[in-house]
Amino acid sequence: MLPKITVDERKCTDPLSCRKCLLICPTHVLGLGTKVGPKKFQEIPRDKFRVAGVRLEKCTVCLDCVKVCPNGAIQVSFNGGVAK
Amino acid sequence: MCIWCEKYAQGYERWYFNPANYARKLYKIRKEEAETSLEAVPQAAGGMSLLRQEFLEAWEKKDYAAMEKMKQEAEQLSWATHFGQVVTLEDTLKVIDMIYPIAIMTCLCRRSMLGLPDEENFTCMGMGAGMYKWERWPNNYRGGVQFLTPEEAKDIVTRLNKRGLVQTLFTFGTPYIGGICNCDYPDCSAIRSTLDYGIRTLLKGHHVAQIDRELCNGCASCIHRCQFKALSFSASQQKAYVDQFQCFGCGLCVTECPQDAITLVERASLPALANVW
Repeated sequence: MLPKITVDERKCTDPLSCRKCLLICPTHVLGLGTKVGPKKFQEIPRDKFRVAGVRLEKCTVCLDCVKVCPNGAIQVSFNGGVAK
Repeated sequence: MCIWCEKYAQGYERWYFNPANYARKLYKIRKEEAETSLEAVPQAAGGMSLLRQEFLEAWEKKDYAAMEKMKQEAEQLSWATHFGQVVTLEDTLKVIDMIYPIAIMTCLCRRSMLGLPDEENFTCMGMGAGMYKWERWPNNYRGGVQFLTPEEAKDIVTRLNKRGLVQTLFTFGTPYIGGICNCDYPDCSAIRSTLDYGIRTLLKGHHVAQIDRELCNGCASCIHRCQFKALSFSASQQKAYVDQFQCFGCGLCVTECPQDAITLVERASLPALANVW
């Protein structure tokens, strides 16, 4: 059974500046990507960056990311329910 | 023999000493990228675009055959387009003398793994024709690029090696070599794909570490240098232990040993390791 990590993008608005969850995750499950693909001659604006659960098979459901998020944007589900 | 040397060394000692593999004519103008936004490919965050959602689904179902197939496809794709090989510091310095221009820039892996600010993240080196066109892809080069003299480039890789980062050469459209990366586990996507998933986007280098147990005094100062889970400390012998089948031959442990107890031997000199890449 794999955990599910959801990041509410209305609450997580500038992960490139914050990055607290990326740094705290003990197994480096989370990754930082962008909402849009790379475009020629364009730098992607900071508000298009997003955090996502990537290496979910390494997630221990410790909830450190949930606790560290200043905006309460991260939710981890396991076995069908929200882990608390 | 290293399959890359077999194909691309053309008489040179190693494939990455063959100047043809840095030549402008091999450099391909990048086409518009396939869509790698998070909506399309969630794994693209954190440098995992080689494996898609289906891989995790197979993992969940314990469908090992499907996982193996996806891994092999990912490996083949990476070998054709963008893969790396570990090189010793000594070989890296030789490569720097061969190729111009060289520039340093932000590391895309660490941005996607840690969101490191670009000013703290200048650990990635690009070289050759592609560097004249970096401005076409400003998002890959956030923070710009800094062009280096060969002496500056050597100084920087030597310092990064001292800091504990492994030097690797990367192709951009194999066999065109366009990058010197300075990698560590777990924040380099290539090391992670290789160690965590067995997708060899990073090949082992041409050497293997060997420990002289007479000389090793058990100080353990080498252990933290290994980025490949090959070094450990033997509690019963109170000495460093290297798993030579796991060793990538980067030489980081060698430079840290105060006793000079670790040496790099040629992979080819050990018959059973000669084809372990």
